[in-house]
Amino acid sequence: MKTLLTAASLALCTLAPAPATALTVVTTTEGLASIAREVGGDRVQATSLSRGTQDPHFVDANPNLAVKLRRADLLVDVGLDLEVGWLPPLVNQSRNPDIQPNGSRRLTAASAVAVMDVPRGPVDRSMGDLHPAGNPHFMSDPRRVERVAAAIAAKLARLDPAGAAGYQARLDDFRGRLAHSASGWRAALAPVRERKVIAHHNSLTYFLDWAGLQAVGYLEPKPGITPPPAHLADLVGVVKEQGVKAIFLENFHDPRSAEVVAKHSGARVVLIPGDVGGFRDDGDALDPKDWFAYMDALVKLVAGAER
Amino acid sequence: MHWLIVASLLAANPDPSGARQSEAGGREEKGQPASQETSSEKQAADEKRKLEEEIAREIGGQPASPAAPGATAAQGGSAAAQTPPDRGGQGQTGGNPFGRLMLLPDVSAIGSGALAWNRLDVATLSPRSEPFAPASEVRPVFQELELALQAVVDPYARADVFLAFGDEGAELEEAYLTTLRLPAGLQVRGGKLYAPFGRLNQQHPHTFEFVDRPLALARLLGPDGFGGPGVDVAWLAPTPWFAELHVAYQALTPGFQEASRNGGVARLVQFFDVGEASTLGVGFSGGLLDEPGAGARDLLGGDVYLKVRPPRARSYVALQGEVVARRLRGVVAPEGEEAPADAAGTEWGGYAQAVYRHGPYFAYGARYERAPAVAGGPEHRVSALASWLPSEFQRIRLQISYDRLPGGQDGLEALLNLQFGIGAHGAHPF
Repeated sequence: MKTLLTAASLALCTLAPAPATALTVVTTTEGLASIAREVGGDRVQATSLSRGTQDPHFVDANPNLAVKLRRADLLVDVGLDLEVGWLPPLVNQSRNPDIQPNGSRRLTAASAVAVMDVPRGPVDRSMGDLHPAGNPHFMSDPRRVERVAAAIAAKLARLDPAGAAGYQARLDDFRGRLAHSASGWRAALAPVRERKVIAHHNSLTYFLDWAGLQAVGYLEPKPGITPPPAHLADLVGVVKEQGVKAIFLENFHDPRSAEVVAKHSGARVVLIPGDVGGFRDDGDALDPKDWFAYMDALVKLVAGAER
Repeated sequence: MHWLIVASLLAANPDPSGARQSEAGGREEKGQPASQETSSEKQAADEKRKLEEEIAREIGGQPASPAAPGATAAQGGSAAAQTPPDRGGQGQTGGNPFGRLMLLPDVSAIGSGALAWNRLDVATLSPRSEPFAPASEVRPVFQELELALQAVVDPYARADVFLAFGDEGAELEEAYLTTLRLPAGLQVRGGKLYAPFGRLNQQHPHTFEFVDRPLALARLLGPDGFGGPGVDVAWLAPTPWFAELHVAYQALTPGFQEASRNGGVARLVQFFDVGEASTLGVGFSGGLLDEPGAGARDLLGGDVYLKVRPPRARSYVALQGEVVARRLRGVVAPEGEEAPADAAGTEWGGYAQAVYRHGPYFAYGARYERAPAVAGGPEHRVSALASWLPSEFQRIRLQISYDRLPGGQDGLEALLNLQFGIGAHGAHPF
């Protein structure tokens, strides 16, 4: 009898999920999902709509993503029109009223950070496919990511008050680890401060600003515009004049233009991951596996290429 | 004094792009005194031209971008090219970054025109959607200018309005309200809308991969789409994959008819993820329309869509096909109706197409069609397509077709199409 009771209580214990997942968080990018996991811990189940190997500007509005949004307790997007080509129709299809823009279960990460590259004066598409509200590629800047983490923690606490203390504790812990890692990254980047680089798109603006490096040219003459040969020839001149050692581009871009400039100028082409999971992304096996690993990889590639 | 201004600029605006701009300016000034010897300047220019030509050869296959002339401005450090040029106080046409602040809806215009040539007199032998030309004549055809106004109405609904301007005047293409807050997976659209029947019928012509609408859809559904005023209720099933059931009641104008009929349309559409790279869409549609004189028109359709796109790539392959069948029962041709009466009995047709998108700038396609011919019997057509997309906002397409009518009459057709879009247009359906 006693053994039976013990067995029954054991069975009950295993049946009852110990730390019940309180919230399903859906993010637009892997980087945001990783930060949501950092501050949400076991209480959240975070998934990303895009893969780290994908260009976040050009994700397909696959209706199956709308099904994920339907069950979302919170949608975290980057904002600044990064996802404008695919997220709005998914949100409209999702039947989830609270994840609409400005909804109670929607957090736009850009609202938490100071935005760079905000165009001054009127804009039109003769300037290329630019983001009229500013540069959305801030998830490789530890200062801004800390702000995003705090905003996610605050939002989670509002949606799940029972876990508020836990989110705050995890946020504090995250800040501690971030400060520690950031000092390591800064030390690794110290020898290459003030170096000049060339990037494909203005996706490294925040990272370079934080790291103290400078972009002296972009492979795209304007955002989203193919480099014509004349522009690449100009870049060859820029590389030689300014002593640029490396051309950085996310590994989802066509490397031909970069390789041509590299060949004629002696600079090196360095393929960087676009996000968490940017190297390889087979199902759940993310590489880099989380945001810290992604930053480790990025810092290592930049510091290594510039030495 | 100069550095003081820079310093005060920096203090006033921590945005480093400002600092970058002034630095770029500084570089340009420093660069000037060095370029005084004209002979060495000329030599450098020659070298640069040679380099350009070599690079052009090496990256062959990429289009010479129309932005080339502007790119020379990047010489003094192309960081300057990245920041938008300062236009001072000068106003300019288009582009209003404050549109949303002023509660304006998203406004966009998409224009589409073509140079058309066809050997047969398709207007009588093979009626279809625009664009087409008189027999054996090259004719420019303005297909359509679509003006779209899109915005949320209030926290409960959004509205989408599409006006089509063509040679025959302006027409309301679609104008409907979509609910955003209904429970139980329901979403209702009300207004004037394309019937939820098949895959292409709900899309606007400017999103088609091919220049024209498949013949079978033009004849069995409608040359400008099959739709009309009514209500569409869509239920998203609580399944792990996307499964949506539409039930619509509309006043519909089928085929080349002029009068509308009341009718009901239903559609079940499902999407399945097949691995990381592929998505399969399968749809079934049915319709039942009243016909004059206590008759009825039955419609049945099936559609398949398979898109294979590795996550890392911009390239993809999309296979797509649709079959539509129409049956007329107990129809008495009404007296005095101008439009040709649809043939009694059952007619069917469809198409199958494959499109390969090669990176951001090119797409190629092939399409086979079968449609009921006006004289009875099956009409077959095959088409080949090549598209060039200089940017996301324009494309130039060449479509060559071979059309074969039941009597053995046949002819080649060619369409050279230009399409452009301005303004903020909602993302296109998958």
